[in-house]
Amino acid sequence: SHSSTFCFNGEDHTLGNSLRFLLNKDPRVVFCGYSVPHPSENKVNVRVQTTGAPGKEVFKDALLDMVAICEHVSTTMDSAVGRFKANEQRPE
Amino acid sequence: MEASYQRFPTVRIRDLKDDFLKFELRDTDASIANALRRVIIAEVPTLAIDLVEIEANSSVLNDEFIAHRLGLIPLTSDKAMEMRYSRDCDECDGDGRCDYCSIEFTLSVKCTSEETLDVTSHDLQSSDSQVVPVDSIGHDPDIENFNQKKGILIVKLRKGQELKLRAIARKGIAKDHAKWSPAATVTFQYEPDIHINENLMETLSLEEKREWVDSSPTKVFEINPETQQVEVVDPEAYTYDDEVIKKAEAMGKPGLVEIYGKEDSFIFTVESTGAIKAAQMFLNAIEILRSKLDAVKLNFGSDEADEQFGDLGAHMRGGF
Repeated sequence: SHSSTFCFNGEDHTLGNSLRFLLNKDPRVVFCGYSVPHPSENKVNVRVQTTGAPGKEVFKDALLDMVAICEHVSTTMDSAVGRFKANEQRPE
Repeated sequence: MEASYQRFPTVRIRDLKDDFLKFELRDTDASIANALRRVIIAEVPTLAIDLVEIEANSSVLNDEFIAHRLGLIPLTSDKAMEMRYSRDCDECDGDGRCDYCSIEFTLSVKCTSEETLDVTSHDLQSSDSQVVPVDSIGHDPDIENFNQKKGILIVKLRKGQELKLRAIARKGIAKDHAKWSPAATVTFQYEPDIHINENLMETLSLEEKREWVDSSPTKVFEINPETQQVEVVDPEAYTYDDEVIKKAEAMGKPGLVEIYGKEDSFIFTVESTGAIKAAQMFLNAIEILRSKLDAVKLNFGSDEADEQFGDLGAHMRGGF
């Protein structure tokens, strides 16, 4: 099994926690966790242990999933705002 | 890509005004909702005054005091997303003052009358009509005539006192300084799921029911006057204090009601300072989160990492 730890410079819990959550959803992942070594430094360590796939690939897939979620929320939000505004104008 | 069990979130808007947005976010996890909240507060870029050159100041406040107050004034920042950061601008040789990366403001006020003169954000003249101090008028029609568009107070001047300065506004994010935060408040709560045990509820007298309903600090339950039954009138008023649960146990009826927060359903409330519209703020936040992920992806598998770390780099990235 492959295991790797990735260290991000200039990131914080915003990305760390959400990527950890998405990595846990992947069935290939045996263990996943993140930590911020010291709050004064903007570093995040993300640890991934997999059932065989290289950690880099699994991590890349999680990033792509996250991008897909963001796009989906963006378009859903746009259409929801459009619907809301249309409903508001109709009673007039 | 192997299938991962991820779901796609849904959005339903409850209330939408220029500076206020309330919506429901479903089918996602708390970590994603929290990531969005954190990005809205700390990483959505806006414009704020960053450099102040004071020519004349005979007011009662000292120079840096006034400069600090000027920085905190919210400016309409719709073009902030497209603008460049001053440090990245190549037009101005790193000066950080050219038209592409900054906006210039001037303020020139002298008090000549016997009355105290209020220097407000309305006295700030902008070099760009799109970037102006946010108008702090409320939306209440009763107040409008009374307050008459006064603007944000900067300093008060007596007769003979003068304030003359130039200020440069730049793009920034709240991680650097809180003046750049576009959000007044951003909150989300778990949507409550309330189940009343009807059988146990039947064993209570009307007086006991009233007592139990009143024990909640916020109005969550109500007694229907026609059916004399306890009903849930506003589940979202529930603040996850366990008062009603404790009261039920004190009355000898544990398990009278079951309340838990749905783990994947959130109610977001987003309030903006006026710099960016609330809905636009949320969309900008998603874009910023995406660009962070893209930046991470780009650095991934880069050959530079191999050169830097050699074998360690390859091992760290999960290869051999």
